[in-house]
This record gives sequence, structure tokens and C-alpha cells, in this order.
Amino acid sequence: MIEVRELVKEYRAGGGRAVRAVDGVSFTVADGEMVGLLGGNGAGKTTTMRIVATLLAPTAGVVRVAGHDVRTDPIGVRRSLGYVSATTGVPDRLTPREVLDSSGRLHGLDRRRLAERIDSLSASLDLASFLDRPCGRLSSGQRQRVSLARALVHDPPVLVLDEPTSTLDIVGARHLFEVLEQLRADGRTILLSTHRLHEIEHRCDRFVVIDAGRIVADGTRAELVGGRPGGLEEAFFATIAGGSA
Amino acid sequence: MRPPQPTGGWPARLAIARRDLVEFVRDRRALFITLVMPMAMYPLLALSSTLGLRTAMVELDRRQESRRLDVAFSGADAAALAARLGSLADRAEGRPEAWPEEVTGRVVDPATAQTLIDEGAADAWIDVPGGSLATLDGAETLPLAVRLSTVRQPDRRVKESLLAVMRSLADDVRRARLRRVGLPASLIEPLRLDFSGDAPPSPAAAVRDILPAITSAVLVLLALLTATGAFYPAIDAIAGEKERGTIETLLIAPCPMFDVVVGKFLAVFAVTLATLAANAISIALTSSVLGRFLPGGIASDLHVGDLLACGLLTLVAYGGLAAVAAALCLTVTAAAKSAKEAQNTLTPVVMLIAALAGAALVPGVEAHRWLPAVPFAGHVAVAKSLLATFTGSAGDDRSSGHAAQTAAHVPWAVAISLVSSLAITWLLLRVTAQLVGDEEILFRGPEEATRGLGRPAPRGMPTVWQGGGLVALGFAALWYAQGLAPPDFVPALIVQQAVAVLAPLAAFAWWQRVDARETFALRRPGSTWPRALAAVAGGALVGGGLFVVGAAVALAAWRGEVSAEAKQFASQLVELIRGGTLVPAVLLLAVMPAVCEELFFRGWVLSACAGPRPAPRRAALAIVAQAAAFAAFHLLPERMPQTFALGLVLGWLTLTTRSILPAIVAHAAHNATPVLLVALASEAELASSVQGEGGLPPGSVAVAVGCLAVGAALVAFARRTRDPDSEDS
Repeated sequence: MIEVRELVKEYRAGGGRAVRAVDGVSFTVADGEMVGLLGGNGAGKTTTMRIVATLLAPTAGVVRVAGHDVRTDPIGVRRSLGYVSATTGVPDRLTPREVLDSSGRLHGLDRRRLAERIDSLSASLDLASFLDRPCGRLSSGQRQRVSLARALVHDPPVLVLDEPTSTLDIVGARHLFEVLEQLRADGRTILLSTHRLHEIEHRCDRFVVIDAGRIVADGTRAELVGGRPGGLEEAFFATIAGGSA
Repeated sequence: MRPPQPTGGWPARLAIARRDLVEFVRDRRALFITLVMPMAMYPLLALSSTLGLRTAMVELDRRQESRRLDVAFSGADAAALAARLGSLADRAEGRPEAWPEEVTGRVVDPATAQTLIDEGAADAWIDVPGGSLATLDGAETLPLAVRLSTVRQPDRRVKESLLAVMRSLADDVRRARLRRVGLPASLIEPLRLDFSGDAPPSPAAAVRDILPAITSAVLVLLALLTATGAFYPAIDAIAGEKERGTIETLLIAPCPMFDVVVGKFLAVFAVTLATLAANAISIALTSSVLGRFLPGGIASDLHVGDLLACGLLTLVAYGGLAAVAAALCLTVTAAAKSAKEAQNTLTPVVMLIAALAGAALVPGVEAHRWLPAVPFAGHVAVAKSLLATFTGSAGDDRSSGHAAQTAAHVPWAVAISLVSSLAITWLLLRVTAQLVGDEEILFRGPEEATRGLGRPAPRGMPTVWQGGGLVALGFAALWYAQGLAPPDFVPALIVQQAVAVLAPLAAFAWWQRVDARETFALRRPGSTWPRALAAVAGGALVGGGLFVVGAAVALAAWRGEVSAEAKQFASQLVELIRGGTLVPAVLLLAVMPAVCEELFFRGWVLSACAGPRPAPRRAALAIVAQAAAFAAFHLLPERMPQTFALGLVLGWLTLTTRSILPAIVAHAAHNATPVLLVALASEAELASSVQGEGGLPPGSVAVAVGCLAVGAALVAFARRTRDPDSEDS
């Protein structure tokens, strides 16, 4: 489970001025739940996800992942979490097998267990055809699958994905969401952000809408859309400040 | 899903190192530049330099062989003198070293002699007027005009050969004169040296003589190239990961940041060691080949086995260097956002490493006991010691004493070098871990890296970095001012103050748009005019008193042992003060440096280090820092303790009174005191003072201590103010 309570994040801007990127954000993602974090550019989505992934330290508030606090037990959080960034983050000169091997070793997997995980992920994410080809020669979709496989190599209970479909075409995005749905079915907790609302409208259990660093909506699709025509996208515009709807 | 595994530690470090190494090895371009280039570079360098050296040595051989002297004689007694010289040349015994292989004398008319000289057909032309032989056989001195050819053999050898021949003639004449008056020849020859075992200098010996210098230069080059081996992998390790967007996934690895950095360091270190090995092997093999190209038995001295052993010893000495270089490059590139930015930040590192490595060759420095603790300089020194021990034990009897001494020193030096390298590497990796994890650096925008180079918005005071920047610029300007300064003392002083002090200060003040009043403490030094006057008078007494006390201490410490530079400086000062009127001397030596240097050190540097309203600890650190820079700025080691003490006092005066005026007055009084003492001193006192042997006027130290006490009391009186800001108006 992911628990975010009264989260605040301030940056130092030019001249030492403090800028509040996240301002009192609170939400939870229950075990086995897939939650979409929605918001425009600069709304605070990536900052929130980076704090959950321990890449940034919170200025105030509490963030727990699978019971581990990001401040006091960041290593525990990292062991329990798989993170996929917007940039796929796979080294061009390594093969997918080497990427998974390296990541698995960092997570303390022994050789036998690592081989099992690579075989399993290769089958489930369809990596076999390019497992030994340098990542620099792979397509965007293939690279994103490698990135997801790396996030899963240590079999974490929680997945955090920051705009995972931003570099994918429609086929790649659909395939990725099919995999994510399967992972949720396996009991994993998933928090993901995206700009493409139509891709997740019918896949996520709940949606958290963030605008100017604050939560402006949190609920299921039915709760957010209500009787409003136009689906999730219209509901999103209606909730964010300064929206065109 | 499964329970978490134990993570971090050496398995994680090795996993990261292995990952980075595989990535590096697959980057063929970086691999070629780092490892293959050195293997090709040394042979090419050696080939070009050997060709030049060989040509020079062949020329040396040719000259050695062609030591002939061809002299044209003209004048009435030319034939007689040529015959005397001919008979001297036939005698083999008692010839000086510069005696030519063959002496040819031609008797010609002056016009022909002129032509021979102009065309280079003769080395020298001697005109021997009539009566010359009679003069020689008498008791007078015979003046002879000798004209050397500027066309033929334009070197000193002709003159030396001719002098050797003519000195032999003069000796012969002296002996004849003694015989005539019945005195023994031993009267003018009280001593005769018969050398044995002395071989004439050969080209091979000349090469052997310069081998230590070549070895030192190669060691510095090797240090630099080894460090550059760390460049590409270090850039790739952190900045490259940021550029490729792969750093985030590494930073969420379940291990402490230090483990990530150590893993990256191990990869960079491995490549640096490989670069070192490639360089060392290439140097050893190239030296072995080089020996075969050089004439005169050098090849027999350069055995492949010995050279490879030297390469191995260098690897031992430079192992620590590779570690420090790898860690330093990682630290420097950790704050870079892209590979290009990392390359830019690494450029000054090359200069730092070159300067430190080169410092090991400074005479006197290499013998220092703690030099091995200094990175790069210490490594070069240790490598030199190891090689000297190895080659010394190879059988050079003459240097066996020195070799034994060096050998005893080597284990200590190696141990110190290794411990120091480990400590520095560990510290640098700790700093790197902080930098990599710093989210301000990790997620900053691209403009942040160069923000410090832009012209900022107007503000109160400079930062500590800008204080250090001005000092660095001032030192660079001081260096160039030495070249720009005219030879005369007075213009040189003005140029030095203008170029090294005022110009950098003006540039920084314009660039950084600081508040001049805040930065340079341009205030009245007291809440009321009486207090301000007390501060100024106190400053004057403290400055004058400090000079006398400092001079007394310095004279007691030196005991007449001052450097030639210090003596020259003192004599120039005395000449200036005694040679002109007093007022210009005071303006030039006291007022001008007081104003310029106070604005520089107690204005910019002190306010940069202390900041506004500093806490006591920061104020103390700031005073010490600016005083150290002030002392270093005065270059002469003899003057540094006194200028450091002066810097401390002036810094205290400025922070105490919150005004630069008392410091300017104190500095001017400090410099004016010796001007007045010199103006009042006698010639004898001055002569001994310039040599560092003189003393101060009797009772002056007691008076100076009194001045210091009264001055300090006046400053303390001036300090008792209300709110310092309120009095400014």
C-alpha cells in the first residue's frame, strides 16, 4: 500500500526563493489497487512520484510504501518498489539481459533466482526475441518493456510508473496496460501518471487529480464523472483550476 | 512477490562496477582514446624526439672530431710568431684541455686575411706588427688584435682553442723570461696536476647526464596521462547517466548512495589503472627501442627487463594516483548535468594535476618528508624515489651512498603515499555521494550550472566563492605583472598595484554589482567624530608599532640569513628613499599600497569571507583566511610572517570598527615607518640593514609596544558604539 499524508515539497528557486511544488497532498493506494495520478504539466505529479520513489525528500508530511517510511527507511521503500520513469532509463550499450542481471544483483538476488526471474519476465513481457540485443537498437516499446521488467525483477509489491506511455505508440501502450492489469490481478499495488486520460479511463480503480500542487479530486471514474457527458477528460477539466471546461 | 533480500555492501558495489565497465568497454571510441592512444603516442613522440636527438649528437660528434684551429697571421712579425706557435703545437706535453687537434697558421697580407675571415676560410686573424717578437723576448706586454670569424664555426670552441694556444705561448714566454734572469720555472708553476682516468665527455655520457631530468619529465607526463584515463569513464559514470536518463533507476537501488558511488569508482579506477599500465608498458618498451637508436653505448644501459621492472615500480607508485584521480574526476563531474558540462568542469582539473605533479620537480621540495602525502606531487616523488633506488642498486658505485639513503626513505614514502591516497579517495567519494544525492543538483535546470558566471542582480556583499575568485585572479595578474613590469623599481611598483590589485578588483566589483559601501566598509569608524578620530589615530599607532615589533622579531629570526631577492628588494627600497624626496616615497610605498591592498583584502576578500554581521567564529576564520591570502600575495617568504600578522591586525581593525579607514591608515603607517627609519639612518646602518644584519634604533621596540597598547585602547574606545547601522547616516 502507498500512503501519502499532508505531503509538502518546496524547491529553492533563483535568489533563494522557496517554491512550493506540492502543497499538502494526501491520498492512499490500497493493496492490489491501480490508481491514476492525473494533472497538467507542473501540477506536481512527477514530484510526488519521485518522493514516493525516494528520489526526492519531502519537505513535510508522511509517505509510506508497503509500511516503510521514505524518510526513515528509504532502503526498505526501494526494496518494496519498482519504478518506471518517463525516460525509459535503459543503457544503450547493455542488453536487456544485462540490465535485468545488474538490477537483480543490486537487489540481492542470487544467481539461480535471478535466472528464474529473467526467464519469467522474458516470457510475461515478451522479451525473448531481443533479450541479448543492445538496448540502443530496440524500439521505444521494447525499451519500455525492458524498463518495466527491470522494475519487476525483484518482484516488488508496489509499482510506480511516471508517464510510462509517453514514448509509446497506441499498440505499445495497449500492450503495456494489459501487462499492468495482469500485475494488478496478481495483487500488486500500482500508482501511475499519464497525460493520456483515455488510456486509463477504464483501467484504473481510482483517480487522484492534482493541480498547482494540491489534490482537487480523488475518486472512482463514476464518482469523478458523475452524470457529466464527455467522460473522464471532461471531468478532469472541470476539476482543475483554470480549465477550459 | 517475495520477502526482501539483504542488499548493499560489496555485492551491490561490484554489480554497479561490472555494469559500468561493460558499458565502457563497449564504447569503442572512449576505449581507443583511453587505452590504445597511449600505446601509439609514445613511439611517435620518441621517434620524432630521437631523430632530433640523434641529429644533435651526430653534430656533437662531428664538432668533437673537427677541433682544428686555422689562424691567419699578417704583419711584419707574422711569420716569426706563426713559427713559435708551430713549435708549441709540436710539443705534446702540458697542453690544456681545450687544445685543438690541429693548428694551422697561414702568413698572409692584411687584405687576404680580411678575405679569409669574411669568407670563413680561417677561424681567426691576428695582426702581428713589427717588433712584436722583441717585445715578447723583452719584459713588456704585447698587445695583439684578434678577430674571430663570424662565418666559420660560430661557437665558443674557436675562442677557447685560440686562448689555450696563446696561453701556452704566454707560459713559454714567461719561462724564457725567468730563465733570462736566472730564476727557476717553478716560480710561476707552484702546482701541477696530472690527471688519470679522466675520459673526455662523450655523447653517451651527455645523454646519461640528462636521463634523470628526462625521467622526471616522463613521470609528470605519465601522471597527467594516467589522470586523463579517468576522464571518459568518470564523465560517463554520472553525468552520462544523467544525460541518458538512466541515473534515476540507479538511485533507487536498495543500497546507500555511498555504495553506488563506490561501485562507480571501482569501474573508473579499473579503467584508470588500465590506462596507467598501458602508458607504463608503452614507455618501457619505447625506451628500450629508443636506446638502440642512440649512439655511444646507451643501448647497453637500457635492458628490457630493467625497463619493465621500472614500469612495474611506477605502477606501484602510481596506484594511489590512479585512485585519487578517479575519485577526483567523479567528484568534479558529479555536479554536471551533461557530458559536455562534465568535460568543461574537468578542464581545470588537468591544470591542478599538472601543477601538483610538476611541483614534485621543484628543487628542495622533493626531499620533504611529508611530500608523499600530497596527491600527485607525492606520487611523482615516490615514483622517482623507487626508480632511483632500483637504478642505484644496479651498480653505480659513485651514487651508492645516495642510493642507500634513498632506499631507506622509500618504504616510508610508499606507506605515506598509500595511506594519504586512500584517505583522500575516501573523502572524495563521500563528497561525491553527497553531490549525487543532492536533489538541487540532480533535478536542476541546465542554466543552473553556469548561473555563477552570469552577472547577478545588485546585492550587498560578494560570496565566499567570489572572494576566492578575486584572490585567484589577483595571483594570476601578479604573475603576469612580473612580466609586464618595467625594470625600474618605481614604475614596477605602480604597474604591480594597478595590474595585480586594482584591475582585478575593479573587474570583480563591476561584474558582481555589489554594494560598494557594504563591501568596502566605506563608513565613518565610530558613532561620533571623536570616536572616529580615535579609531584612525589608533590605527596609525598600531600600524607603526606593528612594523617595529615585526621587524625586531624578523631580525632575530633571520640572523642575517635572508634571500638574495629580499636583499635586492631592501636595497631598491633604500635607493628609492635615499635617492628622492620623502613625500613621493611615502606616497608610493605607504599610501598607494595601503589604499589599493586594503580595498582588495580588507574590503572585498574580508567581506566575502565574513559576510554581513558575522558570528565570532566566522569572523575569526575570515580574518585568518584573508590574512593568509595577503601574506601569500607578498611572495617573499621572509616577509610572509610579518604580512600575515599585519593582515590579522588589519582584518580585526576593519571588523571591529566596521570601517576600512583605520585599516588603510594602519597599513600606511606600517609601510611609512621603515621609510622614515631609512630616511633618518646613517649610511653604515643602512648597509648592514640591507644585508639583514642591522638592528633597530635603541628603545624603538619599547616605544613600538607602547604604540600598540595605546592604539589598541583607542580602537577599543572607538568601538563602543550604539547600533552600527544607525550611526551610518
